[in-house]
Amino acid sequence: MTQNDLIMLVRATLSTLYLAAGTIPCATALAALLVLLAISRHRALRWTYAGLRWLVRGTPLALLALLIYYALAGNGIAVPPVVAGILVLAIYFSILFAEVIRGALLAIPRTATDSALSLGLPRMATLTRVILPMLLRQGLPAYINVCVMAIKGSSVLSIIGVWELTYASREIIERNLEVFQVLSVAAVLYFLICFGADRCGRWAEARLARRGYQTQR
Amino acid sequence: MLELTNLRKSYGPLTILDGVSLTVAEGEVVALIGRSGCGKSTLLRCINFLEDYDDGEIRLDGRRLWHREGSRSSLPRRDIERDRQRIGVVFQQYNLFPHMTALENVCLGPVHGMGVSRAEAEATGRRMLERVGLGERADFYPSQLSGGQMQRVAIARALAMKSRLLLLDEATSALDPELVAEVEDVIKALRAEGMAMVMVTHSMALAREAADRIAYMKGGRIVEIAPAAQLLDAPQAPGLRDFLKRIR
Repeated sequence: MTQNDLIMLVRATLSTLYLAAGTIPCATALAALLVLLAISRHRALRWTYAGLRWLVRGTPLALLALLIYYALAGNGIAVPPVVAGILVLAIYFSILFAEVIRGALLAIPRTATDSALSLGLPRMATLTRVILPMLLRQGLPAYINVCVMAIKGSSVLSIIGVWELTYASREIIERNLEVFQVLSVAAVLYFLICFGADRCGRWAEARLARRGYQTQR
Repeated sequence: MLELTNLRKSYGPLTILDGVSLTVAEGEVVALIGRSGCGKSTLLRCINFLEDYDDGEIRLDGRRLWHREGSRSSLPRRDIERDRQRIGVVFQQYNLFPHMTALENVCLGPVHGMGVSRAEAEATGRRMLERVGLGERADFYPSQLSGGQMQRVAIARALAMKSRLLLLDEATSALDPELVAEVEDVIKALRAEGMAMVMVTHSMALAREAADRIAYMKGGRIVEIAPAAQLLDAPQAPGLRDFLKRIR
């Protein structure tokens, strides 16, 4: 492996990070909307959510990527592979994030909302002062977990031509045939990103724990 | 001050409140006793609209409070919020917000519900915490407090809303026996200061010492209501004597 190959892998790592940085906020925002469907008073909306959940959960990421990629191309919508890639990941992981948020919501005891109601708190204050802070603390570990999955999931995008760490590794291997060396370096780079995300999560949890909330270690 | 007239509520075929009427005078303390499932807690929750009721009337200082008109609410949300602020509630499980310090718990309602300035709310909050004997614990989180202390913070939180009526839903039931006294002392002190209270309790000792009147509920009705000592010493209603014997 040459120095240039290494530089290329590092650049591909940045591309992977870029994909994650694009995907996670989009997927989270989408998830927030999906949760509104999930907890809606209207049965039709709840069913819509359930349908989407089954659909996305039941579809492998690689298949979803191909499906969306060809659907876009087939309809003459020309988007750069990176955009298509972020779209695929955002759709796929939005449901997983939505389930994380829904689970955290279910874990907020009724006593908390009873208290907020009995204090006559307006809805907005109840949401921002009571529900969201508790949601954050309940959902953070699972949320970080899905973030790490999303980072690794980006490797699938190589099949639709998104240039990222896995794609770049394959390019180098095709040139120098040093399969194990290149893949080992790629694995270490993936590990570093995911380890970093995990540490960020732990740090955030520890900070929240200092603010009165005990999380199990 | 508080007037309940013929409150009814049922879940399907199950009648929870079967025409409850009750008046609570200014500064009066009424204890609700009765077996589990007789409707005491539901009655309390109805007063603060944590629970819906099917029929009847609740008036506070003569003004009719929230009720359901068909599928609609009789009052706009803002009015309901304002009425809720006038009635303090203390729950069995304290219900403090775990991510806020004692002081933040106490200040939340005044600042974000009533629009009091933070400085003013904190000054009041500290005073209320002093009043329940927890002045020096203002910056502790609930996880750092004992059950009795949490419940006293919950009382301070209700007091900070400047409510004149306090609803206590088995405020001492979840506490270890040695912590009950500290909360009971606060309740007795509040009574001495003229706070009107409706409390659901399983402690006949507390009912005797802290309540002016006791109402015995059975099957969703108030079967007997009398001055505390009279009801406990000379129970009239069938079943009440039995209930008292069993609980002692």
